[in-house]
Amino acid sequence: MKKLAALAGFAILLAAPSAEAATNPLDLVGPVSDYKIYVSQHVDDLVSRTQQLVDAIKAGNLEKAKGLYATTRVPYEAIEPIAELFSDLDSAIDSRADDHEKKEADPGFIGFHRIEYLLFAKGDAAGAVPFADQLLENVKALQTRIAGLAVEPKVMVGGAAGLIEEVAASKISGEEDRYSGTDLYDFKANMDGAEKIVELVDPLVKKEDPALADKIAGNFKTVDEVLAKYRTADGGFETYDKLAEPDRLKLQGPITELAEDLAKLTGTLGIE
Amino acid sequence: MSRCPFPHHLFTRKSEKEEPSLPSRRALFRGAAAVGGTAMIAGLAPAYAAEPATAPEQPVDPALETVPFYGVHQAGIVNPAPAAGMFVSFNVLAEDRKELDELFRTLTDRFAFLTQGGPAATAPEAFPPPDSGLLGPNVTPHGLTATLAVGTSLFDERFGLAPLKPRRLQPMTAFPNDKLDADWCHGDLLVQFCSESAEANLHALRDIIKHTPSLLMVRWKQDGFLPQSTVRAGGRTTPRNLLGFKDGTGNPDASDPALMDRIVWVQPDSGEPDWAVGGSYQAVRIIRMLVEQWDRTPLIEQEKIFGRNKATGAPLDGTDEHDLPAYGADPKGLKIPLDSHIRLANPRTPETEGNLMLRRPYSYSRGVNRAGQLDMGLIFNCFQADLERGFITVQKRLDGEPLEEYVKPTGGGYFFALPGATGPGRYLGQSLMEAAA
Repeated sequence: MKKLAALAGFAILLAAPSAEAATNPLDLVGPVSDYKIYVSQHVDDLVSRTQQLVDAIKAGNLEKAKGLYATTRVPYEAIEPIAELFSDLDSAIDSRADDHEKKEADPGFIGFHRIEYLLFAKGDAAGAVPFADQLLENVKALQTRIAGLAVEPKVMVGGAAGLIEEVAASKISGEEDRYSGTDLYDFKANMDGAEKIVELVDPLVKKEDPALADKIAGNFKTVDEVLAKYRTADGGFETYDKLAEPDRLKLQGPITELAEDLAKLTGTLGIE
Repeated sequence: MSRCPFPHHLFTRKSEKEEPSLPSRRALFRGAAAVGGTAMIAGLAPAYAAEPATAPEQPVDPALETVPFYGVHQAGIVNPAPAAGMFVSFNVLAEDRKELDELFRTLTDRFAFLTQGGPAATAPEAFPPPDSGLLGPNVTPHGLTATLAVGTSLFDERFGLAPLKPRRLQPMTAFPNDKLDADWCHGDLLVQFCSESAEANLHALRDIIKHTPSLLMVRWKQDGFLPQSTVRAGGRTTPRNLLGFKDGTGNPDASDPALMDRIVWVQPDSGEPDWAVGGSYQAVRIIRMLVEQWDRTPLIEQEKIFGRNKATGAPLDGTDEHDLPAYGADPKGLKIPLDSHIRLANPRTPETEGNLMLRRPYSYSRGVNRAGQLDMGLIFNCFQADLERGFITVQKRLDGEPLEEYVKPTGGGYFFALPGATGPGRYLGQSLMEAAA
């Protein structure tokens, strides 16, 4: 999925009609255009939140920076299928220590998680300054590239499955935000990003396979209910270590089933 | 799903009278089926019929070998162990008894298909293929068995099964030499996959995962292997473990149904719940062997630790592997030390006669630790009608044995292998589900 898409202006590429499904490509024009707006709003939000995080770091305000870390990432995690199309930026913005041979000591370990490491594990706001500047530059580059991106229906619909794969691979195990423990923010943002896509194509899926649409909706609801138990008064989430084992297991089934079911969406809609 | 999906001639081979001195794998498989048939338990339907005993001469593709799935007892216990074993522990995600029942039925359907083979399921190309394709368009069984066992935790408050827990089933607790890692212990379910091919085992596991997304989660998994020479001999030679010693010489004869009834299978009126009759307690232990240190130990010491000659497998007071040690003639342990592994494990006294079990272990090898030492050893695996009289008693006798310096149990668990599904329409766990209803 991580391929560099052509910078082809604000166009919408239509899928060829498929033999298996009756979805008219024109039916996807509305959802794709709505999704494009959703992505644009999120990347704008990402830039302004990142600016606030950078300001706090540069002011040497460690506690404020730590408080902003989780919510700054939320818009990024919600549009990850699009952000990941630019693999160079994705790596610079969101790679984890595990992605690098020398882990935390690796010079290639930059971006959100390097800042997370410095703020939460080292309590070092000053050390985070160069990484903060670099992050801001990179999210602005992402904003520019997304503005010129043609979103293909396949990328959008496939993105729902991609987001759930993210959750299944690393969010559910608490590996993503290991220094801050703020995994549940990312978890929820991935879910919201996937749910948005599903919501946009839901009438079309219902036409092709109503049982699949219902099953998907049911599993989103179950996950939301479990996550809601971990909401904090300020609208955020408890740290990952508070997630009780029975609840983690309760999330596992719906997430895995969503991963299986969302992987069938492009086929169900006949998108090639 | 019970029908043989391949042309019948592909499955046949020489009749038994024309076999060389060792029985063919095929014949042993038939033997296993016959055990299921003759060890019938009153009140249960007959085991699914085995194939006719003789067949015209035809070459057989080992990939097409099958072990019967249906029977009073599950397969994968008394039939000879094939080359590749895989032990997979699962957390059950089912939330109520109805979903658990659905899980048992799904697993049974998949086991029945995977062990007998057939065309892999397909879907239109715009969809993810329902089969991993690991074995190609035809799922070739490679003699696969998939054996389902339940752990103590399945009998917690979730499914209301507490009153039906097999009497001896309990969580594995650490023995003095254990260094248990919680990530490698216990589980609601254990599936033991055994076949002639590691790929067939992995294909089966991925098929199970694909079919149970909302019901199962893998907890831990360990692959194992056996020496090819042992496998070719149909289990008639004893495999060497990774310490270089023959391991399993004293195993009871798994082809003797009466003996297996006594040692392995839960019997009626044994104090166990009725639903458990025909099942067996399964103890699995992942035991790391400190092989570098072992390889730096003098031969004489290695042999005294085991009580056997390393080359021949003979007890230290005998000359042949199958000589019975005469402990009565060696009361002070001058030939076979009193604390040697074989003497502690089975002292061959009338009092210890009831502590027998059927071992079916595999070796494992899985990487290197930070000190550059190999992580390899034994997936100890045994079956018995009474877990306490079997494994637990024997292991307690072994506590403190000199071998402990070279071995470290790190994982595993105690499970109960369910009674078999006796024919199409029946499913694994059915007797438990019906008893709970």
